[in-house]
Amino acid sequence: MAAEGAVKAALQVAQALETIVSGCVGPEGRQVLCTKPTGEVLLSRDGGRLLAALHLEHPLARVMVACISSHLRKTGDGAKTFIIFLCHLLRGLEAVADKEKDSLISKNIQTHGRYWKTCCRWKFISQALLTFQTQILDCVVDRYLRRHFLSIFSSPTKERSLCRSSFKLLLEAYFGGRVGRNNHSFISQLMCDYFFKCMACESGLEEAFELVDDCFGELSVGVTGLPVSDSRILAGLVLHRDFSVYCPAGGDIRTALVTETIQPLFTTSGSEFILNSEAQFQTSQLWIMERTKAIMKSLQNHNVKLLLSSVKQPDLVIYYAELNGVSVVECLSSEEISLIQRITGLSPLVLPQASSQYEISSTALVKFYKPLVLRSKRYVHLGLISTCSFIPHCIVLCGPVQGLVEQHEAALHGAFKMLRQLFKDLDLSYLTQTSDQNYVPSPLIYKNRESNQLADTVNGSIQRPHQDPVEKNEGELAKTHTYLKVYSNSVVPSVELETHIFRSTPKVTPAGTQQTDEALRCLSANKTRIMDDHDLFIDGDPTTESTAENTRIEASYENVSITKMGGKGSMLPVRCKSLEMGTSQSYCFSSISAGCVLPVGGHFEILLHYYLLNYVKKCQQSEAIMVGTIIANALLGIPKILYKSKRGNQSFPQVYVRALHTLQTNQPMVGSQTGLESVSGKYQLLTSVLQCLAKIVTIDLVISIKRQPQEVYDQESEEEL
Amino acid sequence: MSRLEAKKPSLCKSEPLTSERVRTTLSALKGIVASCYGPSGRLKQLHNGLGGSVCTTSQSSTLLANLSVSHPILKILTTSVQNHVSCFSDCGLFAAILCCNLIENVQRLGLTPATAIKLNKHLLSLCTSYLKSEICGCRIPVDFSSTQILLCLVRSVLTSKPACMLTRKEVDHISTLILRAFLLTIPENAGDHIILGNSIIVPLKGQRVVDSTVLPGILIEMPEVRLMKILPVKKSDSLKVALFRVSLSGDLSDTGEGSVVVNFGVSLENAVLDQLLNLGRQLVSDHVNLVLCQKVIHPSLKQFLGEHRVLAIDRVGAALMEPLSKVTGTHPIGSLGSVSPSSYGSVKDLCTEKFGFKWFFHLIPNEATVCSLLLCNRNGTAWDELKLTCQTALHVLQLTIKEPCVLLGGGCTETHLAAYIRHKTFNDPESILKDCGCTPTELQLIAEAFCSALESLTGSLEHDGGEILTDMKYGHFWSVQADSPSVGNWPDLLTRCGCGLYNSREELSWSFLKTARHPFAPLPCLPHEAVGSANNLTLDCFTAKLSGLQVAVETANLILDLSYVIEDKN
Repeated sequence: MAAEGAVKAALQVAQALETIVSGCVGPEGRQVLCTKPTGEVLLSRDGGRLLAALHLEHPLARVMVACISSHLRKTGDGAKTFIIFLCHLLRGLEAVADKEKDSLISKNIQTHGRYWKTCCRWKFISQALLTFQTQILDCVVDRYLRRHFLSIFSSPTKERSLCRSSFKLLLEAYFGGRVGRNNHSFISQLMCDYFFKCMACESGLEEAFELVDDCFGELSVGVTGLPVSDSRILAGLVLHRDFSVYCPAGGDIRTALVTETIQPLFTTSGSEFILNSEAQFQTSQLWIMERTKAIMKSLQNHNVKLLLSSVKQPDLVIYYAELNGVSVVECLSSEEISLIQRITGLSPLVLPQASSQYEISSTALVKFYKPLVLRSKRYVHLGLISTCSFIPHCIVLCGPVQGLVEQHEAALHGAFKMLRQLFKDLDLSYLTQTSDQNYVPSPLIYKNRESNQLADTVNGSIQRPHQDPVEKNEGELAKTHTYLKVYSNSVVPSVELETHIFRSTPKVTPAGTQQTDEALRCLSANKTRIMDDHDLFIDGDPTTESTAENTRIEASYENVSITKMGGKGSMLPVRCKSLEMGTSQSYCFSSISAGCVLPVGGHFEILLHYYLLNYVKKCQQSEAIMVGTIIANALLGIPKILYKSKRGNQSFPQVYVRALHTLQTNQPMVGSQTGLESVSGKYQLLTSVLQCLAKIVTIDLVISIKRQPQEVYDQESEEEL
Repeated sequence: MSRLEAKKPSLCKSEPLTSERVRTTLSALKGIVASCYGPSGRLKQLHNGLGGSVCTTSQSSTLLANLSVSHPILKILTTSVQNHVSCFSDCGLFAAILCCNLIENVQRLGLTPATAIKLNKHLLSLCTSYLKSEICGCRIPVDFSSTQILLCLVRSVLTSKPACMLTRKEVDHISTLILRAFLLTIPENAGDHIILGNSIIVPLKGQRVVDSTVLPGILIEMPEVRLMKILPVKKSDSLKVALFRVSLSGDLSDTGEGSVVVNFGVSLENAVLDQLLNLGRQLVSDHVNLVLCQKVIHPSLKQFLGEHRVLAIDRVGAALMEPLSKVTGTHPIGSLGSVSPSSYGSVKDLCTEKFGFKWFFHLIPNEATVCSLLLCNRNGTAWDELKLTCQTALHVLQLTIKEPCVLLGGGCTETHLAAYIRHKTFNDPESILKDCGCTPTELQLIAEAFCSALESLTGSLEHDGGEILTDMKYGHFWSVQADSPSVGNWPDLLTRCGCGLYNSREELSWSFLKTARHPFAPLPCLPHEAVGSANNLTLDCFTAKLSGLQVAVETANLILDLSYVIEDKN
């Protein structure tokens, strides 16, 4: 299959997916019913879920789905927009390719040659896309789009406080795309209440978000058979179990956690218990009984009124618990146990093997505990006192069918993911040319393909530690700041590079496959460049610190590990190269600050479209012009769908023309729809799509292998081969 | 070895509701549920071609649980109705028929789903706020000082389930029993927080329905042979009871993960038996009269206890443990060692009784909120149906305690609501239009679809080809027999409205439900004397009906909103 074929096939696939997905986009979108092989039915408007339910067979479709799911893991939003945007980009590329094919045919080149030519061409386009994404996009976003940003914080100073009304608008817009039309306002109100109830202080938001994200399944209770409007928020935790023993208690009550049976057993694993006489058996049973009694007694003495157990306790324990007025909840799942531990900081009881002292080491205060009956099923309702920044609350989600309850649960979980992203800064970095009187900038930088590639590498390698959200997710643990300062000297242009890395722990999680991919690509790109270049100065030895006289490197010890991971040998040679060329470049580092939002209804897309076109007009490079135009036009695909059902004044052409007019005359944009959406989410989506596209475009051949998937093979079948 | 199979691609269908197949299956389902509705509903016989018992029913829970629906859309509908029934027990068929009607009516209009859903939701909120409001003309507050309304409610539940095969007399008998059983579960001196007890339904098949009875306390079934062996216990004013959770059979409990090595000559059986007999001695010295055990009691221990005139009953089962500990006031004992005196409880009296061909132990409590409803019916399937109906009735009574009002039954609430919605949308459309942003025509169309869905639901009450009318004053439901001579002399042909509140002698004017009428405002606020005088009303549970209405409209909206169906073919 020729390269163009790949794009064509990809377009066909994307179009098929687009028709499904476009029906669910936006506030007017409709639901999709998915059945599982088990016979359950699921309602969904979530793009990621739909794509997973389709079980696509086409290889290109699977590439797309893989890209989307990796994007979703990071941001939790934007699967549908991904498909639509990708589809429009592919359409744009195909249109360009058609035009060029005509010109190629007229030149009458041999078929084989033409094949290779087109392959190379696609490769260039792919690289141009990546270049565009890493340099120009950031630049446009930072320089032009920034002035339109709104914030959900009422004061953008250090002590930021959340603006409740804009927060509500943000959630409403989010759920408008996720939940059935009937329920979205109700669910977004529920989410809003839940957020403000759980997150009392804004300092520990990150910790609380992490906890909610990890344990959302335990923080929500689904109840079928009741109308959706019966959903509510309960203070405290709801455990999906019933009391084995319930003794009501009030006042200063405490709880303890056990992960083993309290009653000592005759033997432990690997040991033997030898019975010599009947009396011995009876005394040992008596001892067991006395000991159980004593432990329960000491629990009572420590005011422990509630025993949470991850295992089933024997009848004896239950009996003594009841006698001592201790309530027991058994068979808690490990997730529930870990959630309780995270909230209260409680550690499980360690039962001493031999001593007669029963020190109850760790107990936690509880406000209340009581049975809760939801639809004739009994739960334990627990009022924990939190020691972290998360104040425990549970959501009871009601709905007529399980599928709807699950949809709401998934949407709420996704909303937390989205908020978690929104409350973080997103770094941008790009390359700009400084205007220096004493120095004539080298035309190589933007005209030469190689230097483009180089710039790509620069950004690729430097940006990596910055942008990788996997690492960022690790939170403060591994927060890395890399500052690069480029000074230009009037006499001899020198580059001074300072790398400061602040890290609390040197541990870096290499979890992101994306990251490794990127690093590899950087590396390979760099290698080709080195090979092409006949410059001996670039030796590619990252450990030599004397590569350039004017270059001073300040790298901390940890830096080495970063360089190793993010692309060894890419940073230094690049630095040398830029020094040698003497280009007066400056790296701009800025960020989309936490809480940046734009109104919904295609605002982001129209704005970016406008500024990209403006940028492209000033650009001299043919590749950048082409790519920029394609991206700018593809961006409009999303507002087109959003305004599809609107008529008259609200139809898309009208809205578009009005928006362009206001932008040209520098008036503030007025949105027709209420609701806000996260800028960083949109931006990340855009970069993910461009990366996915770059991946697809470079494929020149799809080889189908008629074999069972690799995992199937055990040793026997390998021998057969 | 499990092989990793490549997943088959799913089947994706767009606009599922427009397909002919879905429409026919939907109307088939509607036909099934609608024909079961009401006191004169037709029975369905469900039988599995591969064997198993045949069951005759007209209840939604049994019907839908046994019906295997293939299409995912129908699955949504049936599961949502089943979920509703498991929450509220009643009004399952109501929700199912209303949902089918709504989908059919709205689908026929061809409006965009967005407007239809928005308007449906708005009309639903109109209905719910009207039903909850004070001026509602089809709601009766429950007066707990008399049993009349509660009795009517229970009787309505019983008569609406024709598969129980009850005669009029039997209905009266069972409904009083149910009400008595319910009243026995209410604690006498309740604080601000009432915890209802439970009534245990004891099966007794093959007996006459009128032999059914209600007894306070617990009945434990016992083979006759074993009963004979038990010596009469010494009489005192109360009996001391010990209830064991742990097995008294002498088996060794969990010994841990390691191994236990027993030397030759050591008899664990003897050791355990010694322990059990020690326990027996303690029980005897504590003057325990009755020993109950969830699991098995060792025969030697049983004999020992018997010799000391202590009654031992074992194999009680886990289900009875909670009511037993409630009735006797014991802590279930989990230890073979010393038993704390605080774990003993007591019962007032103990006797053996024979009902039909079965013998029972009857534990009579001092004061407890547990009672046993001994339910008889002629054959198995009718008994199953009757048991479900009794559970429904008991549940409905519990719901009524929480929300002390009832709705008029017999189709009157539905026709009344439809009249109210018609009137409201005709006279005051501006407020709805402003909220929903739709045209007046769209509102009229959807309101008509909604109201006719409600009215054709009441139409399903009539299975014998009769005509259905509504009066123009109260908006109640009237039906006339199929072979009535001619239209005209309505007061003679009609006797009472569906719920039995009004008779035809009042100055009323009637109109056929199918024909178009001018919207009129149904008379709100029931006259209290009317409620007081009428003693044979048909009533529905307020909570269940309200939720049924909500579930039906929500589910219909959900189904109307579907744009694609993705079927996983794996």
